[in-house]
Amino acid sequence: MKRISQYLLVLAIFILSGCAEQWLDRKPQNIILEEQVWNDSKMITGLLANYYDRLPAHTSLTTGWAEFAAYDEAMWSNNDDGRNNIVSYPFDRWRLWDYGLIRDINLAIENIETYGTSLNEGQKTQFSAEFRFLRAFVYFELVKRMGGVPLVTKQLIYDFNGNPAYLQQPRNTEEEVYDFIASELDAVKDQLGNDGSNTRANRFTAMALKSRAMLYAGSLAKYNNLMASPIATPGREVGIPAARANDYYAKSLAASEEIINSGKYQLYKTNPNLGENFYDAITKKSANPEIILAQDFLVSKDKRHGFTYDNIARNVREDNLSSSSITPSLNLVEDYEYLDGTSGELKTRNAGNTDYIYYDNLQDVFANKDARLYGTVIYPGTSFRGTPVQIQAGVKVWNQASNSFQNVESNTLGSNYDDGGLLTGSSGPQRSQTEVTNSGFYLRKYVDQTAMSSTRGIRSDMWWVRFRLGEIYLNASEAALELGKAADAIKYVNLVRERAGFGANSLKTLTLARLQNERRVELAFEDHRVWDLVRWRIAHEVWNGNASNPDAVIYALYPYRVVRPGHPTHNKYVFDKLVAPRFRAPRFFQMGNYYSSIEQIVIDNNPKIVRNPFH
Amino acid sequence: MKTTNHFFKPMLLGLLSLVALSSCEKDNRAEPKSELKGRIVYEGAPVGVRSNGVQLEIWQRGYQLFTKIPVYVNQDGTFSASLFDGNYKLVRLRGNGPWVDNTDTIDVELRGTKELDVPVKPYFVFQNDVYSKGEGKVSATFNLKQVDNSRTLERVNLYVGTTTIVDPNNNAVNVQEIAANITDLSKPITLTATLSPTLAKREYVYARIGVKTSGVGEMLFGAPQKVMLR
Repeated sequence: MKRISQYLLVLAIFILSGCAEQWLDRKPQNIILEEQVWNDSKMITGLLANYYDRLPAHTSLTTGWAEFAAYDEAMWSNNDDGRNNIVSYPFDRWRLWDYGLIRDINLAIENIETYGTSLNEGQKTQFSAEFRFLRAFVYFELVKRMGGVPLVTKQLIYDFNGNPAYLQQPRNTEEEVYDFIASELDAVKDQLGNDGSNTRANRFTAMALKSRAMLYAGSLAKYNNLMASPIATPGREVGIPAARANDYYAKSLAASEEIINSGKYQLYKTNPNLGENFYDAITKKSANPEIILAQDFLVSKDKRHGFTYDNIARNVREDNLSSSSITPSLNLVEDYEYLDGTSGELKTRNAGNTDYIYYDNLQDVFANKDARLYGTVIYPGTSFRGTPVQIQAGVKVWNQASNSFQNVESNTLGSNYDDGGLLTGSSGPQRSQTEVTNSGFYLRKYVDQTAMSSTRGIRSDMWWVRFRLGEIYLNASEAALELGKAADAIKYVNLVRERAGFGANSLKTLTLARLQNERRVELAFEDHRVWDLVRWRIAHEVWNGNASNPDAVIYALYPYRVVRPGHPTHNKYVFDKLVAPRFRAPRFFQMGNYYSSIEQIVIDNNPKIVRNPFH
Repeated sequence: MKTTNHFFKPMLLGLLSLVALSSCEKDNRAEPKSELKGRIVYEGAPVGVRSNGVQLEIWQRGYQLFTKIPVYVNQDGTFSASLFDGNYKLVRLRGNGPWVDNTDTIDVELRGTKELDVPVKPYFVFQNDVYSKGEGKVSATFNLKQVDNSRTLERVNLYVGTTTIVDPNNNAVNVQEIAANITDLSKPITLTATLSPTLAKREYVYARIGVKTSGVGEMLFGAPQKVMLR
């Protein structure tokens, strides 16, 4: 025994020593080294994809999508009542402090210079430009929620000397952050490349971001200072001087016009049916000249999401659960004007308010409305994927004795009344059931028409649009209006309205209020509503927490079939407007919500960080 | 094997219980035993606010981390905080309550229990409020006094609820009168709420009046009043 083990030992020493150098000095199989990444344009592109994917949004198809139901565009009709009962928006609601992503991008910008030896100068410049675009995007997301934040553009390295004070950067002013975004975008726009791409940034994407950011800065400079007591900190971490307003508006207008005048993008006008056309304009992924930047998904590569599963109308759902989560409000539906330019309030009662108006068909009450209503909302009498979405709350039976109608509603979706006609639609609405609309409407925008996309097994690869030309026209119009260029302002907004069916030159005069409504209806469910109200400084008035304020309360529309045999109104339709039955607390936006609170741990780690007002 | 088992089992149990019992003793701090209590007052009378809406902040210097202790004010204007003995600074947070901003710090020396009145200057206060019931109705009549002229009136509301917590978020009925219809503050104002049939069948309801100053987020309220319906 002993002998054999001695031989074995000797043998082993021979074998191992012979190839020891290669054996111990191998390349790791599970770690990618900096030199490998920064000399391989495919790996850099992969890294970029990661950063694009991590771009923050308050509400998108994947991030915080449910919060579309937390404002006045929609309410929540799925299980739980959280979003219908927000007593007041908490001060940390829009908080964002994503310096992890900022650091990753800073690191990338530095490393591509240090390690990228085999890339040519052109590639290096282009990739660096794209990283800087992403960093500007993140800083815009930070400044619009938090006010001025520390502008960190280099990686911060601790030298373990026991005193980290030299790493603690105070907040820059709100003005400085917006100026930084503008100068970065101007610096990189000629280097970006990616011509014609709508999922990676090119020069027009940079200008689209600049157009939006400068519009925000301009309106903050103007409207914050028009408040009775402007929101500001002594160090201007929050609060842009009023004198800067015109400069910012001019920059926004110039950026918008660079995109418009380039001729590279057009409003989508392919489908002759204007309502369908507006739906296609946002959701069609091929041959769509309107989209400037989108976050794309692909089912076959497992990049997909459940937005359609959660929000499809009840009777067209393909799964046995969910559906109907985000259901648009009557408030939004009535903000879509009639095509003759009159207020969009639905006509449900006669002129003297003594009786209903009786309609032959459910959809007739929506006749001659802005085509964008159809493209955004599924309303009674319309279809989805070719299947009628049956929306009817019940029947109104005439009671001869009391000379009035009596409501009959059923808890069984798709049930019939005694006379053989429909009682309650297979898509509701229902007053207290979940997973069926409570407001009388369903969401169409961003809900996928592809077969099986509402099943949990397959899901949807609908894309999320970050910038599109429609917004740029409205940005240009608003900036021009603020700069006193009324003719340009009217020209741009009319182009957007023309696509919605209003005819050419539908507006002859323009006010900011009109433009505010135009943004509400064009950009509904595209993550604009909160930020628009915040920058115009009207959020605390529109959502003032008062149950008597129709803007702060979510309304519903319940259609009924009339049962009155022998009378001309028999089997016609009437509509009741009511406060949505599941809606509890009026929307309440406080002054402390204009800037979100900074987390205590951030202040603990860096005492130079100043708190935001009211926190 | 059996003998060892007999021997080790009690040993193990003993050890386990020793660990379980002893661990809570040493490493935890004592809870704060001192209490700061107080009221938000105007001219000696407490000021009513929305429950869970208004906060005061307490600060204490001298430690590595400088973190505020938020103290939420109850709807009747009282507040309380459990603290350690020490010297604190109490601050009326700007733009938070329905009163004129006043950032003067109040020094608090806490030894044991302390009661404190925090004075504020509201924009409007209620006077002479009386409540009455009608047939399926509840009314409130009151005078509104403008204390500070820097801001204008927006509206007054009457809220009716089934519990003592009554405010814009917790109520069954709510009526309002906007400032445009209130021309003369020297005259009493009457608000009448019509109760729903289910509410009218109850033995009692609670009524509470509130006033909203334009440009100020929070409202100022009167005391909730129990109104017997039968």
